[in-house]
Amino acid sequence: MYATHYVKAKSLAEAAKLVASNPEAKVLAGGMTLVPTLKQRLAKPSHLVDIGALAELRGITAKGGSVTIGAATKHHEVATSAVVKKAIPALAYLAGLIGDPQVRNLGTIGGSVANNDPAADYPAAVLGLGATVVTNKRRIAADDYFQGLFTTALEEGEIITQLVFPVPKRAAYAKFPHPASGYAMTGVFVAQTADGIRVAVTGAGPGVFRWKAAESALGKSPKAAALEGAKLDASEMNEDIHATREYRANLVRVMAKRALAKL
Amino acid sequence: MAKVEIKVNGVKKSRNVEDRTLLANFLRDELGLTGTHIGCDTSQCGCCTVHVNGRAVKSCSMLAVQANGAEVLTIEGLAKNGRLHPVQQAFSECHGLQCGFCTPGMIMTTVGILKDNPNPSEDEIIHGLEGNLCRCTGYINIIKAVKQSAKMMRGKKAAGGGAKKAKAKRAKPKKAKKK
Amino acid sequence: MRVEDARLVTGGGKFAADWNEPGQLYGQFVRSDRAHAEIVSVDTGAARRHAGVKAVFTGADAVRAGYVKAPHGLNFPGVNGMQTRAPDRPVLANGKVRFVGEALALVVADSPAAAADAAELVAIVYRDLPAVVSPEGALGKGAPQLHEGVVPGNLALETEAGDAAAVEAAFARAAHITRLKLEVSRVAPNPMEPRACLVRHDPADGSYLFHVCSQGITTLRKQISTYTAVPEDKIRFELGDVGGGFGQRTPAYPEYCALMIAAKETGRPVKWVSTRSEGFVSDTHGRANIIDGALALDREGRFLAMRLDWVNDMGAYVSPGSPGHIRNTTTCMTGVYRIPALYAHYRVVLTNTTPVSSYRGAGRPDIAYVVERLVSQAAAELDIDAAELRRRNFIPPEAFPYKTPTGSTYEYADLPGLLDEALRHADWKGFEKRRALSKKRGRLRGLGISTVIENTGAGQAPKDEVELELDAHGTVAVYTVSKAQGHSHETTLAMIVSDALEVPLESIEVRQCAPERAHLIGGHTGGSRTTVGAGSVCHLAALKLVEQGRALAALELGVEPSQVEYAKGVFRSSESRRSIRLGELARKGSVSVVAEGKFGSTFPNGCHIVEVDIDPETGATEIASYSTVDDCGKVINHTVVEGQLHGGIVQGAGQIFGEHIVYDPDTGQTLTGSFMDYCMPRAGMLREIRAEERPTPSKVSPLGVKGMGESGCTASLPALANAVMDALRPIAVPHLDMPLTPAKLWNAVHAARKGGSH
Repeated sequence: MYATHYVKAKSLAEAAKLVASNPEAKVLAGGMTLVPTLKQRLAKPSHLVDIGALAELRGITAKGGSVTIGAATKHHEVATSAVVKKAIPALAYLAGLIGDPQVRNLGTIGGSVANNDPAADYPAAVLGLGATVVTNKRRIAADDYFQGLFTTALEEGEIITQLVFPVPKRAAYAKFPHPASGYAMTGVFVAQTADGIRVAVTGAGPGVFRWKAAESALGKSPKAAALEGAKLDASEMNEDIHATREYRANLVRVMAKRALAKL
Repeated sequence: MAKVEIKVNGVKKSRNVEDRTLLANFLRDELGLTGTHIGCDTSQCGCCTVHVNGRAVKSCSMLAVQANGAEVLTIEGLAKNGRLHPVQQAFSECHGLQCGFCTPGMIMTTVGILKDNPNPSEDEIIHGLEGNLCRCTGYINIIKAVKQSAKMMRGKKAAGGGAKKAKAKRAKPKKAKKK
Repeated sequence: MRVEDARLVTGGGKFAADWNEPGQLYGQFVRSDRAHAEIVSVDTGAARRHAGVKAVFTGADAVRAGYVKAPHGLNFPGVNGMQTRAPDRPVLANGKVRFVGEALALVVADSPAAAADAAELVAIVYRDLPAVVSPEGALGKGAPQLHEGVVPGNLALETEAGDAAAVEAAFARAAHITRLKLEVSRVAPNPMEPRACLVRHDPADGSYLFHVCSQGITTLRKQISTYTAVPEDKIRFELGDVGGGFGQRTPAYPEYCALMIAAKETGRPVKWVSTRSEGFVSDTHGRANIIDGALALDREGRFLAMRLDWVNDMGAYVSPGSPGHIRNTTTCMTGVYRIPALYAHYRVVLTNTTPVSSYRGAGRPDIAYVVERLVSQAAAELDIDAAELRRRNFIPPEAFPYKTPTGSTYEYADLPGLLDEALRHADWKGFEKRRALSKKRGRLRGLGISTVIENTGAGQAPKDEVELELDAHGTVAVYTVSKAQGHSHETTLAMIVSDALEVPLESIEVRQCAPERAHLIGGHTGGSRTTVGAGSVCHLAALKLVEQGRALAALELGVEPSQVEYAKGVFRSSESRRSIRLGELARKGSVSVVAEGKFGSTFPNGCHIVEVDIDPETGATEIASYSTVDDCGKVINHTVVEGQLHGGIVQGAGQIFGEHIVYDPDTGQTLTGSFMDYCMPRAGMLREIRAEERPTPSKVSPLGVKGMGESGCTASLPALANAVMDALRPIAVPHLDMPLTPAKLWNAVHAARKGGSH
């Protein structure tokens, strides 16, 4: 790790100011991606601005048909939250699959969503449920937020403060973990919302995406069989030493079916 | 440089270290608590697992300064008054360790698993051990050790609350019935 | 509870990285980030000027020190009088780099962070060369040459075993020939403790003291001495716990010798602790063999001959642990079968990859995999039950000791008895019912078997010595130069001595590789040899201590030694009606005995039967059941033996289902250089092993034991692969090489079904 300056922010406003005034600063929440990145010397931030303990970024509340989760809320807290389990059990289930217990005890939902790893679990839920990403500057709809491989709508110095999840009628997540890293080789989040069925896929493509063909097929008939014919272009999937495009495309279909079966 | 003050195994420790110092290195190099091991550099192996404010974390993935003011429990602080913690005892009894390098992390993780879930199923144990690698045992005896730890700890609790007797009473007629 | 557990479960273990020396400095290696290149220049100026840096060493320093002749053991006669071509390997690369991760400079500073920061400032100019990472590619015409003029054609050694003409004749008259080309993949042994080494130089006597992770001091000392020309008596060790080894901790790594240069030049102890990322590219790898095999059978399914053509990938240099892949695969080439004619041809090839050395079994799993895959494949082709074909070809019990066509002598095995018990134990006959049930759940179930034997315990040391030292408290110290890396020596060896002396276990203290007994002769712990070698000598030493004690007791009691009886730590004489305790003999000074022994190979054998369930939708495999019946001779400690078996089996499972070191074929970069990409087995990979013992005591070792530390791995590789291939047989999937990952199995199932439906 390169030498750096650690600053524990006393407020979100202070954190935002620090980040704004130090272009090479990075925001540190749980650190589950950032710290390993720093250890590999893949980043050289001037400052680490720790927002992990800010009370204003923590907590889970349910109100008016949505669940609001503070950005610094840890995966473990989401996975075991009575509020989340009651309102959106699939989200609690998904949070309980992230990394491992030690990672869930430190990693935060805001950190995961801000990082937008193409194989992370949370983006599937955020996009699948059509959540809203709330930052210190604005509110961003999930459909506008995710922009592919580690890319999001966040601007320089913009910090996620909350995730607002509309409560679906039903939702489910099925994940096929990467055999080494435990990330999603493919994860599919299926949600039946007031506006119809949403299907979000993580791990398979260069970033989380909605499988629109599946959504429209399921809109006609919400059964697994409907997925058989849903178009999915394997050439748009990721390919690496662990899996071919065709295999990932297959997993998308199989995991979608399995999620559907859990609905 | 940062002043880091942490209560480690119940004792307040204070050191000035570089901001980039990882908690694992702080424990090992500054405090000489070498029971916390470092087995990888990508946060996968779990050899460095300690508890920070009661939760199991990988101390190689946290800066020491992040733990400022926290309470940290390491493998060295688990046994009390020379008596092994039930998890330590169970790992030994079940031969849940061979070389012993992953063991402190395994034990600290197990303590965490059982804190959240005193009676985990085999699937829950396997899920709970996802962040810990072992190369010697094939995990079979580790899973056995977690089960045995849970049993010992439940027994201990039950004995403390006087529930053990009641349970034993219930068990007896059941056994008789089987015959 | 094992003796060693008390410290290991409380954080009291002392592993290599836990050692410190006053005034120590910290080393950071600068490693090649390319697979093959000329080093045009190395500019260390900026690094030297960095705060805290004390010195920077490069290949020029390694050459100046003369640390260039890497030790190796590839001493087999080659074909047509060919001798092994072992290239120089300066302990810091000089002139050229030949694999990603090769160390070419060492920065020494007063903190690890300063050393790491400065290492980035070492400016290297390379001239890239084309790289070759595939061993077959390296043998091809026009392939990049790693060591021009020294290793023409990248061929380090071509050698052979067996009788080519007899094999050819047998193949000519065969009714059936089964052919398989197999790859035993390249894997990373990955003991959980990363390598670490701290070296202190003493200018007064020119000696070096090492704190290092090691499998025993004798082999390491000899190899370091070979590398550096520092006499063995100037190379000392003070060792603590070792966090796994599996063969990878045996050799003298160049880094250790580079640290010697640094410690001598700076006048300060120098400590280096590897990261896992460094380890993935610089710790030796295992296996990496390609075998083109053929088995000839007659009309009745009896084996006539077997021919194996090996390409052994050694990585960029000939490593010290290299001979196992030839020696052990020759010794056990016939497997458990009577095969009248055998011929093996080996080409040891150098490639732009991390050097390959021993890994749990060192060739034994490889040969078992080849033979057992061929046998199961033949059974499938001939539609004979896989167990029946084995039984038909077993070496019968009355044929032991059995001299194999490749010149080794198997001691004994009751193979039909072993098989019968294993079939019962695994409910072999009930498989079809379980297969039908799996089919109902949409799963493909497969049944796999392996029946294996292996040579263990002999080792390369001239003999094993053990010293027992009795003190006035009655404590017996047991000195050995072997070193456990999780093997439980402190328990097992203590049990042997405690048994022989009839004294409590608590009064025995095993001291491994103690500096004050570094002169003892013996093998390191590897090749499943410590209980056979050092263990047997512990037993002999205890008996010797009793005899020496008897003489001393006779003097004390004023009787003839023949009138003294010994039991449970007490010498008695009925004549004098007096007795004297063992410890009392050491009142005036400790009593020592040194015993020695040299034993041949023992031949543990076993039958493993596995069932797998494959989910054809995802390609994921679940190991549904795993049963074993093993003959590892007399068992000293059942728990420890079972633990070794578990670990070996799961390492085999790891290799079959996921572990694989993969290189980019063009750049030679490692694509699986961390636990994020390298699929280590995790908890739950194998939930239960139903293990049975069927011991026949070995006569080779006085204890009756057979070395069994590797047998789990040897048997599990073929058993698991056979099970998977059996599951895929109904849909006619041809042989698949390990690792049998979900993606690979899905692709195979998908292709087979696609092919079948059109």
